[in-house]
Amino acid sequence: MAHPSQLGLQDAASPVMEELLHFHDHALMIVLLISTLVLYIIVSMVSTKLTNKYILDSQEIEIVWTILPAVILILIALPSLRILYLMDEINDPHLTIKAMGHQWYWSYEYTDYEDLGFDSYMVPTQDLVPGQFRLLETDHRMVVPMESPIRVLVSAEDVLHSWAVPALGVKMDAVPGRLNQTAFIVSRPGVFYGQCSEICGANHSFMPIVVEAVPLVHFENWSSLMLEDA
Amino acid sequence: MLGTVSKQLRSHPALIPLFVFIGGGCVMCAAYLARLGICSPEVSWNRNGNPEPWNKLAPTYQYKFYAVNLDYSKLKKEGPDY
Repeated sequence: MAHPSQLGLQDAASPVMEELLHFHDHALMIVLLISTLVLYIIVSMVSTKLTNKYILDSQEIEIVWTILPAVILILIALPSLRILYLMDEINDPHLTIKAMGHQWYWSYEYTDYEDLGFDSYMVPTQDLVPGQFRLLETDHRMVVPMESPIRVLVSAEDVLHSWAVPALGVKMDAVPGRLNQTAFIVSRPGVFYGQCSEICGANHSFMPIVVEAVPLVHFENWSSLMLEDA
Repeated sequence: MLGTVSKQLRSHPALIPLFVFIGGGCVMCAAYLARLGICSPEVSWNRNGNPEPWNKLAPTYQYKFYAVNLDYSKLKKEGPDY
């Protein structure tokens, strides 16, 4: 999850997010190199006593500063497009979960085998137990089996919402009347937080998403318990 | 017009990479549009001969331009047979 004064992305919990992290490092390194070069050139231009009034053009430097940026852009575009195609690939999911956005909570439906559905409201600040995170915890978490491809169908019952979990590299808009599909694999067990990412009214900031990834046996126990409680 | 352009290119060779990259960009845009028209399963040019091309897709049909990790030949048909 996010921590105070965090500068970079959250630690990856899915293979796609790992790819995105590495790509971000790659693009940021290129940006830093270019910015350093530009800053150096600016400082050296501004602090020199030399003047030259007779250079009108130079074909060589023009060739260099056309080809080099084009090459750099291609070096950024190729990994980016690769990840884009990777994210879209069908991955034969083991489980399908429906995440429905409401004002102002999420509801999850696990209807592959039995009819399991529940709402997920934010835990109000005054009800937090020590150790819980303010504005991020929910009363019911979306529990998923780890290391399994999961498909999430996202929609909304009233206004636009967006289902996002940064640690999994997932964000999908919840549009009323439309079914959007996203998929992920959680590489490690853990609890991953996200927040509604499309303005949806007064409590838009107070409808978080919590995904809990557990081994398959624990997931099966949890779903049996939830079905009994329902 | 080509004569003028090639004369200018001889005295300003720095324009050649510009032509290459801008030309490359235009070629890629045109190729994308052509691919959309020819390969997109939602496009039907012949209403009588090919009315609903999206109904003819095999589960192993590669509809994406680039397959990173996915072996299309291993995909099976989901859902019932009609």
